[in-house]
Amino acid sequence: MREKIALFLCDCHHSLKNIDFDAVREKAEKLEDVVHVGLSSALCLKEELEEMASAVREKGADRVVIAACSPRLSEPIFRNAIQEAGLNPNMLSIANIREQCSWAHEGDVTDKAIEMIRMAVSGSRSLKEIRREEIDLTREVLVVGGGRTGVRTALEISRLGLKTTLLEGTDHLHAEINDENVEVLTGATLVKVEGNVGDFSVRIKKGEEEILRRFGAIIFAEESRMVGIPTSGSKRVSGVISHDELDEMIRSETTRFETVAFLLDLHGEGFRLSTLSALRGALMVKEKRASEVYVLCKNLKVDSQGAEALYREARDRGVLFLKFDGKVKIEPLEDGRVKVKAKDVLLGDEVELTCDLVVVEEVSPPPSAEEIGPKLRVGIDSQGFYQDENVHLYPVLSRRKGIFFVGSCRGDLDPVRASMDVSSVAIEVYELLSRGKMSVEIERVKVEPDKCRSCLTCIRFCPHSAIRLTRLEEREVAQIYDPACDECGLCATVCPAKAIALSRESDDGILAQIEAMEEGRIVVFCCAESAYHAADRAGMLKMAYPSQVRIIPVPCAGRVDTLHILKAFENGATGVLVMGCPEGACRHLEGNIRARERVRYVQNMLEEMGLDGKRVKMVGLGPDMAWKFVQEVSGMMKEVGK
Amino acid sequence: MIIAERKPFQEIWEMIRGYERIMVVGCGTCVTVCWAGGEKEVGVLSSQLRLRAAEEGRKLNIIESVIERQCEKEMVEEIADKVREVDAVLSMGCGVGVQTIAETFEEKPVFPALNTTFMGMPEREGIWVERCAACGDCMLYWTGGICPVVRCAKGLLNGPCGGTRRGGKCEIDPDKDCAWVLIYQRLEKQGRLDLMERYYEPKNYRAVKRPGKIEAAIR
Repeated sequence: MREKIALFLCDCHHSLKNIDFDAVREKAEKLEDVVHVGLSSALCLKEELEEMASAVREKGADRVVIAACSPRLSEPIFRNAIQEAGLNPNMLSIANIREQCSWAHEGDVTDKAIEMIRMAVSGSRSLKEIRREEIDLTREVLVVGGGRTGVRTALEISRLGLKTTLLEGTDHLHAEINDENVEVLTGATLVKVEGNVGDFSVRIKKGEEEILRRFGAIIFAEESRMVGIPTSGSKRVSGVISHDELDEMIRSETTRFETVAFLLDLHGEGFRLSTLSALRGALMVKEKRASEVYVLCKNLKVDSQGAEALYREARDRGVLFLKFDGKVKIEPLEDGRVKVKAKDVLLGDEVELTCDLVVVEEVSPPPSAEEIGPKLRVGIDSQGFYQDENVHLYPVLSRRKGIFFVGSCRGDLDPVRASMDVSSVAIEVYELLSRGKMSVEIERVKVEPDKCRSCLTCIRFCPHSAIRLTRLEEREVAQIYDPACDECGLCATVCPAKAIALSRESDDGILAQIEAMEEGRIVVFCCAESAYHAADRAGMLKMAYPSQVRIIPVPCAGRVDTLHILKAFENGATGVLVMGCPEGACRHLEGNIRARERVRYVQNMLEEMGLDGKRVKMVGLGPDMAWKFVQEVSGMMKEVGK
Repeated sequence: MIIAERKPFQEIWEMIRGYERIMVVGCGTCVTVCWAGGEKEVGVLSSQLRLRAAEEGRKLNIIESVIERQCEKEMVEEIADKVREVDAVLSMGCGVGVQTIAETFEEKPVFPALNTTFMGMPEREGIWVERCAACGDCMLYWTGGICPVVRCAKGLLNGPCGGTRRGGKCEIDPDKDCAWVLIYQRLEKQGRLDLMERYYEPKNYRAVKRPGKIEAAIR
């Protein structure tokens, strides 16, 4: 059956003067399967939308193509409108002829507009209906960690009406809990977590007993630890103590010291919590127990609440701050004192202190992070704390929906920041679970069971752990769990059997857009999170760039397949740019890194074939970096353009 | 699983010189799983060939296809109609696949697009490691399930060799683990360290007769 495509053009109040809409209309009417072409000056207005809906109904169109402003502005209202017309909201394809055509170039761009519309029409043929379903969620929350943050989190979640279980490895909590909505399990550990957002099944070991429970969300709220630094192999050096030991000493003894030094930043940059402890400790010792007090640090972290005031007070009272570079040497002396050697940055010389006591302590991730991070596939950061360092996850989300991290288990957080995390997670969890149901689009990304070779590649690549093996008619095949899927399409791109298809940015749709282009184009695959915005912005700012540029939006740079790039060249493109987020800022964590690897692979492939590897390039840029977008497309044009 | 990798493009290009109609045939089993010859790789190679041909202004028609298992004649025969239309077949299967196709369509030249490298397993995504040399005389029982024939750089049956580096690495390649250290650690976990003292006679490699053949009893 042939498609029936209704096409609507909008000239934005006659403002897109460099496009001849009559000519566009004339060409558009001749496109295959286009059953209707409408021209409007403000398609986003209510009356025009209604008119659009009635035209769709009247012509019996099964999909809609709109050539207007950026979908980032108007897509939701257009989707609503076609739904009003009785179509599935996904049966819409938009040609961004304002930001990425009319505004982006000088001179007449009618031909480009026509080509963009042709691309959208071709791409629209592979659109698929996406249905929504309500999925039941378990309205129970597991909070791991009975420290200050954990207890507060459990109480906060319970206050929102969600039943909460608080799990603590030791036998005591930070504070007593009198809340019948909170079940406390002390002396208990997490053994295994299976399932996904809304329906985790968790195996907990308490004493000899193993309990199996279901939760809709899991919040890790363990506290980081403070650890002293042993200085001579595994042996503690006497005279080098931790903050707790110092407190104890001051409480129980009356010894007076000559010189006491606090060491910070022994391993790279120091932490807020250790800084606060060192400042408080230095003040206390200076006041009561010692004549000379030193704080050795690299860069003092005074951005925690009250830290600046503590620092000033310490200086006023005569605590000496010594900014060092490189490594600090700690040598025990025979009389029980400790020699500390460090290079003073200000003096530019080695400084030697003979101390009665050296207080060293650094923040360390909760001991479970190293074990649980990889097990739950939630990742740990470079310092061993929970949660990947990523702007899309800040502050409490993780790469897996339904798993959250709060407080100092996710990084260097002081108590004020940790309590802000508690509020953030309460909002997130409430939004997720309060209804007990979740509206989910079904099979946005789908595995074709007959084609799946069960190679596990997608399962290993999925950044959100949304894919699992499932038994289907005696065979094990990959299956995507819709509520956990974030629709990045990394799986579809790596699948060696081409068994995974996206309903929105399908391979067929992308290839159809490529085939609808003329020769000599610069094809730019733009990540919807960053580069697409940057391109729009370039248009808004009227930063003219070469009109040979054709943009294909993708959910993530990691979605761009080797095949897409090669097909673009086969189709006569002169250059291909894959544009995604800068490293460390990918919403799908590794998508942009995968894209970079893939582009390098294609570059080598081209060179091996005797073609110019510079014809393809990966670019990382932020959504506001219009200048970078323009610089890169212009650079590519200069490099390879005709 | 059989592990293979794509041949360099130039080598493939040389093979098909002089042929205008080519069929690129993938295999849906081992080589799909190791990213060497599945539907995606068939698409990539075909695209590369078309691109290069266009660059040279040469005519080239390509049919893309994937067979479930290239090592089964019955499955290979399913592409008979398409094979008739082409001048040559480029197989993206392992060496067995290439030969099965060549045997099935004797009048057609069949070329290998892959180098078949070893039998192995994925270490993590995209990285495969050798685990079995098909020596025909398995000794894994004695070595804690770790094969010294494959995993020791020298294939020593009585190891370690004395050149083991600090941290249990191999003297030939410091990035690789010493197989005999691994064997020791594994046997230690199983309380079977006495096996380390056992002396192994040189292996009877004649157990593998070339070409290998197994005639299994009907069951």
